[in-house]
Formats: sequence, structure tokens, C-alpha cells
Amino acid sequence: MIDYYDWPGGREAMLRFGPAQGPVVLVALPFWEEANRIRGLAVAVLRRLADHGIGGALPDWPGTGESLIETEQATIIQWRNAHEAAAATLSDRPCYGVSIRGGTLIDGFAMLSGRWHLAPMTGEAVLRDVIRLRAAAGLRGDRYGLFGAESPVRIAGNRVSPHFLAGLAGAEPYDQPGVPRRVVRLGHDRAPADRTIDAVPPWRRAEPQEDPELAAILAEDIAQWIASCEG
Amino acid sequence: MELQTNGQVEAAVRGVLADVLGLSTERVENFDADTPLFGALPELDSMAVAGVLTELEDRLGILIEDDEVDGEMLETFGQLVAFAHAKAGA
Repeated sequence: MIDYYDWPGGREAMLRFGPAQGPVVLVALPFWEEANRIRGLAVAVLRRLADHGIGGALPDWPGTGESLIETEQATIIQWRNAHEAAAATLSDRPCYGVSIRGGTLIDGFAMLSGRWHLAPMTGEAVLRDVIRLRAAAGLRGDRYGLFGAESPVRIAGNRVSPHFLAGLAGAEPYDQPGVPRRVVRLGHDRAPADRTIDAVPPWRRAEPQEDPELAAILAEDIAQWIASCEG
Repeated sequence: MELQTNGQVEAAVRGVLADVLGLSTERVENFDADTPLFGALPELDSMAVAGVLTELEDRLGILIEDDEVDGEMLETFGQLVAFAHAKAGA
């Protein structure tokens, strides 16, 4: 079902899955091209979670998907505000954040019952990927060149505001004291995690490929974790 | 860091190309030192180059500086393996 939510700067679309009562997960996708690569997997996970009796919500952020805001106008603070507003529309139910990669940097404002982070990354790591991506395209430059750019920065087909990129400096995934958090990683990622699953990270794949097995494993992990949180 | 043999590095490079570019195992197994990569594989755009390099870092435990990234290292399969091997053995 296509639903919507209102945030201080407007109204954005939000896909809804599963039952209308009980626990619900709010998905925060990674940034830019990675979001395109992950969306199919996220939808597959939300459908599997519905089979587990868990609701799901997959919102657009300002400047993504169906949003009326230009991509180059979006800032990371807007996304955090939008995430908080999307969570507020689900606040009559236990709401859990499911955030992926750069998405773990925008779920910090919302009142959540817990945060499940897939391959969380710092803002520094996102910036490093951006600089590498531009180097691979033959564009040299460092972070200060990006922050000080006088026009939007092109990142794999997206026009991104320098303010958005500057907002990533020093950003860390939020581990809220007293609120459950679970970290899951994929493949050869050696960073600390509660669980590392042997699977090719779909955000690295040049062409998205369906991986129903991975979707089932992730949904199972989320469902069990929510069951343990709900006690 | 433990020294990795050329065979291990080459296998890792094949694995990364198969996984990131979505190429079949048979196709990647047939790559030899002279197989052209950048410019010859339509899958290998700048986003994919960045993905290949980052995945190589994860699998080989190496760090690639962005000023080392140029078209030459990705010209052929042999050049990419040689680059990865120099990094892994350094």
C-alpha cells in the first residue's frame, strides 16, 4: 500500500507492508545509487517480515523517489527530520528502525524501540566512498573541495548538495543508551558485529540481482531480535 | 599482515570481479593476464570500479589510496592482479 507522511518541509510517500497492529519496522535505505541497488532487497525483507506478523514502512526522503523536492536541495538534517516524522506516524505501535549502510546516520532523532543496523558506516566512510567514486570517474579532489563546491556534486548520477556532504563529516551511527541495537554485517566485512552473514553485499553489485535467500535470512534475524526485545 | 601468495590474490580478484560485476564463474575463470577489463567490460563503470576496489580492500585486508586509482591498473586482468599483489605483499 502506498501511504504518506508529513514532515516539516512537506509530504512524502511511504510504502506500507504487513499487519496494521503490533510491531513495525521503519526502513532507512543507504544514500543515492546504493538505495537503488538495495530497494528490491528491502522490499523482499519487508514482505517476509509481514509473514512473521511484523509491519513495515519504506519512506521516500526529501529529494528521493517521488519527492517534489529537488535532490540537490536535500540536506542530511532534512532526512533526519523526515525519518523522525515518519516514525511519529507509527508511534501507536512499537517501532523499530531497520537502517542500512548510510541509512544508519539518519535514524538518530526518532523515538524508536530499537535499532537494527545492517553494515552501519560512519559519515567519514561515506565521504571516502564518494571521493573514490569520483577518482574512478577521473575527478580528483578531496573532501574540502566537495564541501566548498559552488554547485551540486555529481555522485553516480545524483546531484548532491555540498551541504549534505558537509553534514556527513563526523557523523556516527546512533547507539542510544538503554535502547536495543543489533549490528549485522555481510561478506568479508571484518568490523565488529553481532552477526556476520556470508553473502555478497548487494550494494556493491553493478547490476541488482534478486537474492531471496538473503532476504529470508535477514527477515528471520530481524523477527527474532524484535521478539527478544518485545520479551 | 601475512604475506599472501599470488594464487590467493588472483583468486580473490576473480571472486571480486564475479561478485561485483555479476559475471559468471566460468567467464571469470577464463580471464588470463591479457584479458582487457576497463573499456572492454560494459559492467565496469566508475561506480563498479569503486566497488571492485573497496571489495578488494575488504577481502585482502589492504588499503588503496585514491591517488593510486587510474585506468592503467584496470586495463587488463593481469595488471589488476599485479596491483593487488603488490599491495597485499607490501
